[in-house]
Amino acid sequence: MSSDHTIEISRLRVQYPERDLPAIADLSEQIRPGETIVIAGPSGSGKSTVCRVLSGFIPDLIPATVSGEVRFAGRSVWETGQEVLAASIGLVQQDPDSQICTLNVWQEIAFGPENLGLPREEIRQRVETAIRAVGAENLVDRNTTTLSGGEKQRVALASILAMRPRVLLLDEPTANLDPAGARDLFELIRRMAADEGTSLVIVEHRLRPLLILQPRLVVMDRGQVVERRTHREHLDLGALGLRGTWQAQPRPVQTGAPLLRLRNLTFEYGSPLLRDVSIDLPAGQILGIIGPNGGGKTTLLRLIAGLEEPRSGTIGRSQETRIGFVFQHPHHQIFERTVRSEILLDGPLSEDRLIERLREARLLGLDQAAPLSLSLGEQRRLTLVTALSRDPDLLLLDEPFIGQDRRNVIWILSRMEEIRAAGGGLIVVSHDTELLSTIADRLLFVDHEETIFGDPSTVFERLRQSGRDVYCPEADGEAHG
Amino acid sequence: MIERPTRVAESGLHRASAGANLLWLLAVVGVVLGSNGVALKAACFVLVTMLAAFSGIGPAQFLRRMRFVLVFTLVLFIAQALSVQTGAALLRNPIRLTDQGVLAGAAMAFRFLTVISASLLFVLVTDPDQLAQTLIRWGIPYRFGYVLILALRFVPFFEAEVRTIREAQRMRGIQTRVRTPRDIARAVRYTFVPVLVSALSRVDGIAISMKGRCFGLHSRRTFSRPLGWRTLDWFVLILCVLLVLSTVASRLWEWF
Repeated sequence: MSSDHTIEISRLRVQYPERDLPAIADLSEQIRPGETIVIAGPSGSGKSTVCRVLSGFIPDLIPATVSGEVRFAGRSVWETGQEVLAASIGLVQQDPDSQICTLNVWQEIAFGPENLGLPREEIRQRVETAIRAVGAENLVDRNTTTLSGGEKQRVALASILAMRPRVLLLDEPTANLDPAGARDLFELIRRMAADEGTSLVIVEHRLRPLLILQPRLVVMDRGQVVERRTHREHLDLGALGLRGTWQAQPRPVQTGAPLLRLRNLTFEYGSPLLRDVSIDLPAGQILGIIGPNGGGKTTLLRLIAGLEEPRSGTIGRSQETRIGFVFQHPHHQIFERTVRSEILLDGPLSEDRLIERLREARLLGLDQAAPLSLSLGEQRRLTLVTALSRDPDLLLLDEPFIGQDRRNVIWILSRMEEIRAAGGGLIVVSHDTELLSTIADRLLFVDHEETIFGDPSTVFERLRQSGRDVYCPEADGEAHG
Repeated sequence: MIERPTRVAESGLHRASAGANLLWLLAVVGVVLGSNGVALKAACFVLVTMLAAFSGIGPAQFLRRMRFVLVFTLVLFIAQALSVQTGAALLRNPIRLTDQGVLAGAAMAFRFLTVISASLLFVLVTDPDQLAQTLIRWGIPYRFGYVLILALRFVPFFEAEVRTIREAQRMRGIQTRVRTPRDIARAVRYTFVPVLVSALSRVDGIAISMKGRCFGLHSRRTFSRPLGWRTLDWFVLILCVLLVLSTVASRLWEWF
């Protein structure tokens, strides 16, 4: 291969088997050495497919019909072959769980350099450098199965960095990271790109943290590029039309007994996690929960749902309260063979009502499809539809906005607003503080044994005072690509 | 320099090399499959329990981990004891139980119990990465050696997936009792199928991850963690020799 690590994509078309429309219809792009390019766009627009083609997985491992040309360092990637390409082009996948193939953090990061047959001393140096780069020194002796989502993401990134790739492809790398983690990750990537001239191709929905990379922005829709911006042009995210257009509804002042009352809730997994959590959630309100990875947010939802028992403290709610819980990973909550039977699993529904629900969730036409064959975004919408079928008084949502484009986010917000308007309550765990600041009536910041509870402005003010601005929304809002 | 991990735990057989642990496992399995009589098989089970205690896993904890195996062992014993009707009768009413039936049942029960308990202990005390490396050193192609690591990587994954899916069923009010064939079919559909789909999807992701880091690019690969024969391994080796000799003795002179 030549030393010029330019990627040239020319008239690329990719069609997956048994799909009517191509994932990529026509794409031509050039990525120069050291350049950073961000690909944004709605779900299903072909962003991840670009990463899979550039890394050689399509068509080597993932079957698809490809045409056009993709060249790296002057050679066709399809002639080069995926295994050879992997030494120069690294892909960090969206789901870190799917990337970890050993049981120990050190071994995981050393896995790639070991496959390259490098001398032991060089492997040791590469692993140490990668561990330091992602700030994972404290994880080095950990079993990979015990890591939190954010920790796994760091390890997954370190394992690719240890390969010293010339091109780094990142497919929604911050999906599982808290705001501090996302900021640190992009700062790390910025340094790496500057120091080593690594080219970066990043697929992201959250665009703001990426601005420090001064990337070139490519917006895709339905397999085609619909917008190109240089880093100077796209600083105004609103001009791109990528910002959500959700308008919060007026909120009636609620009186009467709270729907949920937590008093001095304490919980531990071996070591203390939550201590003396006391909150009230009145009917018709939304409680947002924010905080770092592994800080106890999901555990609190599990306690409220009755899936965990507190060590001490009380959870007060009416016995008749119907609770719905939408997990972070939708496939855990899907049981039936078709979308239709999945929705009907929770009880009979008239045909008109069923079609209405399918239409609202943008699942119309998919009622006979196998639920697990749907895209992740579609599966998430399906699990929300099934949770709503039970008419919950209290709906718990764990990271519902991950991987959702603007349209889907607005659909989720609309459903939440319906529950609130009907006098129900919602508790939403999310890293998206921008959205939570718009919709939540109350906010709870959870970081292990520390909690801050109150109305959003009070919580954000206290977070700013304690130097945790990264968990606070910024004035100009966030973009959802 | 960042401190590299050595072993997850540092007691008993955790300190033995993966190769030595594999040798004692093979020796114990050889004894229970190759020896005559019940006493040696029972002694092997006691030995495995003692080795577990030596490795920091107390008898109560070890047996608790095996509670389902113990129940199944009891079922095996009863079934075998009742099916062998030759020998002197120990009980005539309401069922016939003979001395040979009891011995056959005990032999089968201890054979099963010892193999399972030894395998469990082996998994608990052996670093899978070191084991794969050992097997590769012994001549197994590294692509196959890594299958073992991946298999072990999936054990906690399956446990976690089943737990999460059960919780999801609970939240949706899905009952998965297993009283009738229809219940079983429903439980399989609502638990096994989601776990299987999840596992297959995970396998795809891991395959991409491994290939994305040049797995299989070269015929040989480096192992960054060196293997070595340790002091404890000599004692394990002596134990293996004694086990083999006891098996030979039991067959030659019909001891135990």
